[in-house]
Amino acid sequence: MDKRHYFLMIVLTVGALALAACGGAAPTTAPATEPPALAPTAEAPTAGAPPSSEPINLTIWHMEQPPHRVQRFQELIDEFNVANPGIVVTQEVQSWNDIYTKAPAAVAAGNPPDMLFAIPDFTPVIRAVGAVQPVEDLVQELDSQHSLYPSAVAPYTYDGHTWAVPSWNVVHSLWYRKSALEEAGVNPPTTWAELLEAAKKLTTDTQYGIGLPANRQLYTDQTIYDMMINNGAEEIYNDDGTLRFNNPRTVEAFDFYKQLYQYSPPDSPNWMWGEAEACLNSGTCAMILQFAVITTFDAEVGDPAELGVTALPYSPNVDKAGTIAYPCGIMVLSPDPAKKAASYEFIRFLFEPENYGRFVTAEAGLFLPITEDGANADSFWGDPLITKYKDQIDVMLQNSQNGMLFGFTGGHTFPSIARISAQNLLAQSLQMMLLENMSPADAVAWGQQQMEEAIQ
Amino acid sequence: MSMTRLSEITAAAVARLRRFHWSGEALLGILFVAPLMLWLAGAIVYPLISAIQLSFLDVGIIGTGGRFVGLENYIYMLSSAKFWPALGRSLIWILANAVLQTLAAFVAASILKQRFRGQGFARVWVILSWIVPTVVVVIIWRWMLGTSGGIVNYILLKVGLISAPVGFFGSGPVAFASVTLINSWRWFPLMTVILLAGMMVIPEELYEASKVDGASPWQRFTNITLPGLQQVLFVLGLVGTLWSVNVFDVIWLMTGGGPASGTTTLPLLIYDTAFKGYRLSRAAAASVLFGLLLLLFIAVFIRFFSPPSEEES
Repeated sequence: MDKRHYFLMIVLTVGALALAACGGAAPTTAPATEPPALAPTAEAPTAGAPPSSEPINLTIWHMEQPPHRVQRFQELIDEFNVANPGIVVTQEVQSWNDIYTKAPAAVAAGNPPDMLFAIPDFTPVIRAVGAVQPVEDLVQELDSQHSLYPSAVAPYTYDGHTWAVPSWNVVHSLWYRKSALEEAGVNPPTTWAELLEAAKKLTTDTQYGIGLPANRQLYTDQTIYDMMINNGAEEIYNDDGTLRFNNPRTVEAFDFYKQLYQYSPPDSPNWMWGEAEACLNSGTCAMILQFAVITTFDAEVGDPAELGVTALPYSPNVDKAGTIAYPCGIMVLSPDPAKKAASYEFIRFLFEPENYGRFVTAEAGLFLPITEDGANADSFWGDPLITKYKDQIDVMLQNSQNGMLFGFTGGHTFPSIARISAQNLLAQSLQMMLLENMSPADAVAWGQQQMEEAIQ
Repeated sequence: MSMTRLSEITAAAVARLRRFHWSGEALLGILFVAPLMLWLAGAIVYPLISAIQLSFLDVGIIGTGGRFVGLENYIYMLSSAKFWPALGRSLIWILANAVLQTLAAFVAASILKQRFRGQGFARVWVILSWIVPTVVVVIIWRWMLGTSGGIVNYILLKVGLISAPVGFFGSGPVAFASVTLINSWRWFPLMTVILLAGMMVIPEELYEASKVDGASPWQRFTNITLPGLQQVLFVLGLVGTLWSVNVFDVIWLMTGGGPASGTTTLPLLIYDTAFKGYRLSRAAAASVLFGLLLLLFIAVFIRFFSPPSEEES
């Protein structure tokens, strides 16, 4: 390349930099920390087909990818569309790995869905881009008709509004292979000491005592938080919104995780939920912490008598077992009154007891009801898998009464948790200990620093 | 510069302008390239300028606003504890993939150049791993390398090479090696095909003459094959490096940049900063820095590794 070409390249580069620097601020919407104020509606919009001859088209995004869930949703959607000819609902399947990125991008592009499934720490992300509609009117209506569990509504209620309609709950339990425990002469553990002892006894040449993830991923966040809950470290925020992740109880939880981790498979740093289930179902792992394994277990093993489940073991610092709980929800994004009303109609349809059970059993044994009439509905208990694994479901429902979620504990809701959760900072802190050989105390201190930087 | 000299330069420029005339042919040529130029401007130049502009603001989540902060994002990234390790991993990634893919491609191309039964079939299907979608590649390899029923661990245990399953993604360095091997497996067929095409144009007479002169296979390779492939290797080195350094999909899908950032190269750090950390402007600054480094690489590579012209050789 001769001197002229070098000179031309430098000129173009400097020119582009100068042009951009003089461009000024991007003329977009309000900053992320101040979502636009929204006036609450007095009554939930009601129904029916609009006077226009054109049906109202609604798109709902959800992250429930397994084909049987998609199929169940489609059955319900088809029934709704037939019963409501003025409304056409279409589902689009997304991925939990992408949605934190994809949804804000869709909003920015002016092409968001009309409804979007959520977990509590995802809602603040969409709120930050000004896309979520308040739905307390619909929630109050549904509560009066179906008796919503307050613990399911609470994580979505802050800043004077409710930002999503809770749909179902998912909670962790300790799942185990009964035959493996019987062979090792181990009882289902109830305390940390028993869990450690069990993991050690259950580890053989062909079996790992417990499968614990160490991936930088939501499943790892959930599992380490299980340990934190069961050592009394469930609060990661102080009342004033500052972080208290770095405290002795958290350090103890991390240390306990490290002790258990030596009995886990060596590839668990790359695990997501599917790998953990595969490990249990194949008999490679004797125990795992997981939301539910019923569907895959039934497909691969098929024997309910072999599948054990119990509450998560706890340390002497607490007096009962707790678990992470995700009350999932549905956000309404469309500000258009007709679309919002149509969205409300669809959600009302889902909550009818004859439909709600089928909605929740899209993944039988994973999604748990969050309404009184739903929890007693024939449409729930009549599902073949629920019937087959009734004993396990009963345990899960019992565990769900002690569920909690980081960032949404102690009666508080701190939306900044979204930034912590999106980066999987709990999992990253754990990785620093397990994979980078930091001490538990140093890893937790590192995590505190990262979280403080993330929520700045 | 003297006034006389300046006048001479100006007069020469004016004379050149006067010689140029807008012929019909020139206009037609401009019309033909105009759509491509417009597309390039829209698809490349505009986003590039937008990214540079973004790097001087403090935008967080995509779709929100930000104020001008000057070089703050650049200073942050350059002093960040994550930037330089990610850059280092990118360099190792480039080198490791280049060595592995080049070696594998040379071996494969040399074999495919020979005449054997099924040569045609082999030459077509060698490309198989390259045409399989990335997601499928990732899923296949995740399950093959798993400790719970993965075929690789099963075979290694059965033949006695290992006594316990290997966690191919259990630590940063091992995960990095695993992903590098998978990426090389995926991309070497493309290089093979290009090298094979290059080898096919080297006259056979040169090899025959060198055999008569008693040249060894290594001497034939270094004195005939390599010089004959200079042009091809130059293009592969330049373009292949640019492709390789920007690989995102395989790494992200396979490890997400983990474990413990062990496979986080610069493209992954940029993505992570923008869409997981919700720091769009910082990510833009990192992108600009990355782009400048690549420009520097291109300049150096062309300056020092361009093959000699035919007259020179």
